[in-house]
Amino acid sequence: MIMNSPLMIGFLALTILTCGSAFFMLWTKNVLHAALAMFMTMLGLAGFYVLAFADVMAVSHLMIYVGGVLILILFGIMMTSQRTSKSGQANELWTEQKGRFWAFFIGLTVFFGLSWLLGQQHFYAFSDIDEYSKLGRVGLSFMLEYSFPFELTGVFLLIALVGATYIAKNHE
Amino acid sequence: MNEIPLIFFLWVGAFLFATGLSIILIKRNVIFVLMGVELMLNAANLNLIAFSQGDEQNQGLMMGLFVLVIGVCEMSIALAIILQVYRRFKKIDIDQFQSRN
Repeated sequence: MIMNSPLMIGFLALTILTCGSAFFMLWTKNVLHAALAMFMTMLGLAGFYVLAFADVMAVSHLMIYVGGVLILILFGIMMTSQRTSKSGQANELWTEQKGRFWAFFIGLTVFFGLSWLLGQQHFYAFSDIDEYSKLGRVGLSFMLEYSFPFELTGVFLLIALVGATYIAKNHE
Repeated sequence: MNEIPLIFFLWVGAFLFATGLSIILIKRNVIFVLMGVELMLNAANLNLIAFSQGDEQNQGLMMGLFVLVIGVCEMSIALAIILQVYRRFKKIDIDQFQSRN
């Protein structure tokens, strides 16, 4: 039975990690705790990518999100310090929440609706999975049939970084 | 080799998408909303990767890698805009912005 395989046990552990920390992100009001929970969610997602036989994606996801985006978010939290009079702390980390009931309702509706919709279909993966790494084939695809999108993405990344630097500078 | 059924990945992706949507709707802090957007982006990306498990041509995987790069671009520009908005308004809560005309 598939439920007893070690792959499945790992999948369940990753599901608990990912969904638990995503729900903690929804639950908490502290921005810094939410950033930490997002880190755990990204770790779990990298594990999912490994289980989906996409090791290249897992490694690049870890490097980009944990190394880049999370540091950006932490810098954003630090540089937008909101001092309020009622809390004497240097930075106000608690965020306001509004319309809690409706947001939970909409989220639950989307989740169950998507689950029902996905349950209507019978998806199956291709079964001819070889056990080698996909890195070589991904590199070849970048050089051969995806060479134009690859260059375009590189130029796009350059433009975005230059633009972000220009936007973030002090204009006064 | 026994692999995991595809529908489990899709369920996890649906859960992450719904959670990100709820975060966007509930929270008032702009950085928090941006984290919700990232969560939704990664939920969609998980579906792409899961569908390209045994694909010979790796189409979903390549699309996922491009989506990753676009997500990083979006994140850096959004944080720069948030920084600029904070300099002007001294607030980063969504419903405290009002246009000056």
